[in-house]
Amino acid sequence: MSADAKPTLYPRTPVYAIIGNPNCGKSTLFNALTGLKQKVGNYPGVTVEKKQGTTYSQHGQPLAVIDLPGTYSLAARSPDEAVTRDVLLGRRADTPTPDRIICLVDATNLERNLYLVHQVLDLGRPVILVLNMMDLAAAAGVNIRVARLEKELGIPVIPCEAVNGKGILQLKLAMSRPDLPLSRHAWDVPPAIAAAVAELQASLAANDGKPPLSARAEALLLLTDQDSVRVAGSTPLSARTAEILQAWQKRWEAEGMDWAGALVNSRYEAIGRLAAEVVQPGVMAGPTVSDRIDAVVTHPIWGWLVLVAVMTLLFVSIFTLAEYPMDWIGVQVAALAGWVRGVMPPGDLRDLITDGAIEGVGTIITFLPQILILFFFIGLLENTGYMARAAFIMDRLMSRVGLNGKSFIPLLSSYACAIPGIMATRTIEDPKDRLTTILVAPLMSCSARLPVYLLMIAALVPGDRVPLATKVGLMLLMYALGTGGAFGFAWLFKRTLLKGAPPLMIMELPPYRLPGLKDVAMHMVERAGLFLKRAGTIILGISIVLWFLSTFPRAPAGATSIQQVEYSIAGRAGHAIEPLIKPIGFDWRIGIGLISSFAAREVFVSSTAVVFSVENFDANHEHADIAPLRVALRNARWPDGRPLFTPLVCLSLMIYYVFAMQCMSTIAVVRRETNTWRWPIFQTAYMTGAAWILSFIVYQGGTALGF
Amino acid sequence: MSFQTIAALAIVALAVTGLIWRSVAKSAKPGCGGGCGCPSSEIKAKLKVVK
Repeated sequence: MSADAKPTLYPRTPVYAIIGNPNCGKSTLFNALTGLKQKVGNYPGVTVEKKQGTTYSQHGQPLAVIDLPGTYSLAARSPDEAVTRDVLLGRRADTPTPDRIICLVDATNLERNLYLVHQVLDLGRPVILVLNMMDLAAAAGVNIRVARLEKELGIPVIPCEAVNGKGILQLKLAMSRPDLPLSRHAWDVPPAIAAAVAELQASLAANDGKPPLSARAEALLLLTDQDSVRVAGSTPLSARTAEILQAWQKRWEAEGMDWAGALVNSRYEAIGRLAAEVVQPGVMAGPTVSDRIDAVVTHPIWGWLVLVAVMTLLFVSIFTLAEYPMDWIGVQVAALAGWVRGVMPPGDLRDLITDGAIEGVGTIITFLPQILILFFFIGLLENTGYMARAAFIMDRLMSRVGLNGKSFIPLLSSYACAIPGIMATRTIEDPKDRLTTILVAPLMSCSARLPVYLLMIAALVPGDRVPLATKVGLMLLMYALGTGGAFGFAWLFKRTLLKGAPPLMIMELPPYRLPGLKDVAMHMVERAGLFLKRAGTIILGISIVLWFLSTFPRAPAGATSIQQVEYSIAGRAGHAIEPLIKPIGFDWRIGIGLISSFAAREVFVSSTAVVFSVENFDANHEHADIAPLRVALRNARWPDGRPLFTPLVCLSLMIYYVFAMQCMSTIAVVRRETNTWRWPIFQTAYMTGAAWILSFIVYQGGTALGF
Repeated sequence: MSFQTIAALAIVALAVTGLIWRSVAKSAKPGCGGGCGCPSSEIKAKLKVVK
């Protein structure tokens, strides 16, 4: 069917959607168009990120832009792809149906990318085709006849290098046009399917309220993917349309013909003819630069060494680059507390502000430089294409423990936070694989554990300077323990509770490219903002509550500050669990930290700051500045005078934090994702049990060996 | 009770209310909001399974 090449006029600001294959540069283009005028949220009911932004036409008119999740085809196989399909088809009430679509393709692989474009053109809406990575295409000797492609499709085609900003102006000019032609692309639907297409199209128009062109596109899509993946928030088909679809499906099953496959092939044939006319492939002289790098990076031995080296470099950077900014922040926090003490008279409100809010939040904010460096490196690794190689290497290991490569992304996400990692398991189709991944994801050392590790490492070694190699080695050890623990328990679960064989996995390794530092920086700034927001809301709230719990009820007159803490609700809770934690080297004060960590792991740092800094106040007179926390920890003693935070106790505590389930939010998410309390209770039990046992072995074993 | 004590307790009550409200609001609107550092959707969508 040919669409008339009529210009279209809009009485209001049009909404643009950017769509394209994964890793074709959509986010880079979106960032280039919208800059910081973007909002990241969530599609209600699904764990798919929703990115909306604003750009401006050449006349200064604001244009709304939606960055849709990457997909190879509108035939959805995962929630991400289902959301993209639903937004384009106008099935989501929470998102405006895009008026115009920007199809972004990788110019180095145009023919494969055209499949999605071909489907989008069926929708009958104005489309702008953007050929990205033209520099890489030229380097590969690929020549695209842009003018010919424009003529064949009847839509604007814009060559672009989004990472360098080339072509962005031309794209904005095209977006500014009040009239954009509809495509005149045409392809022949097999005659045997035409009747099904016509019947579905008519029903979609009459019963689902779809415009005619959109109805045809949706009919073709329904016949291809049978509407197999639906997500929350998607408007369902009308009963009549669903009935017609089912009837045709049954009829084709009875005939034994794969008409869905025939539809797909027909489309590929049309695309093949088009590509033959507009693309002159380059002659490859031999392996590309990416191939040569991959020969090392994906090697069974060298690949692992490279991965370890990258991780080592990451941690070395975290420790070396962050030192001065961390010290500076620490000084400012202490100065602020000192100033408040100076201007306010003694009292509960002053103590709340200094010991609770400033001490609690300030100690967490001290770790901001290290968090920034962590996310900078993650963004850098993604941007260069190395992350896909890491997934490939990890897949070898994961398949040995019964996990498939699709588990890598949820587990990788869990290095930042287990919650999105657990939600990302929705992309795993096999329920046992999904549940196994959910059960082990919290073992990956999340960013909330980082302040705890860093504090313990600082307290672990006597003297002011901890050798860099020691710091890096201990960090690597903690991350390796968590990762090893996750794989170990996955192996156990897949052979006992959740037996099953992993499916095969194929994945695309994108070409390496130089990182877009602007994108990486934006990513880092965004995450820093979220970290500070969390510190200023949840952590602040918890620190205030913690201050209350460690201050009330009031001890009898004449009690020291330490005795006051012991007498308080928090102190009593700490004493209540001390018999359980003494065998692993912890006392009631650490117990307060363990309990408070259930709200958020990093609160351990805030709570120790509150509890142990109170002690230091006694040692350094009432109005002295609060000493650095690590000094306070090193001065802490058992009642018999033995030091509390020995190197062995620090190690035991770190190991405890690697394995223990201590995050209420994670438990709540697991409950929601598994729809039962059984699995989160089991998860809490096995993780906390493993944490206690391993800490016990380390502490008691180390003590027996004389450490 | 001094003014400082009353003010401090009021702030604590406010903090507790805020934390509970956040917890309830999060239960009503599930989803991570993209706030915790998940990898890009490009990376996620790259993994396909052969059936």
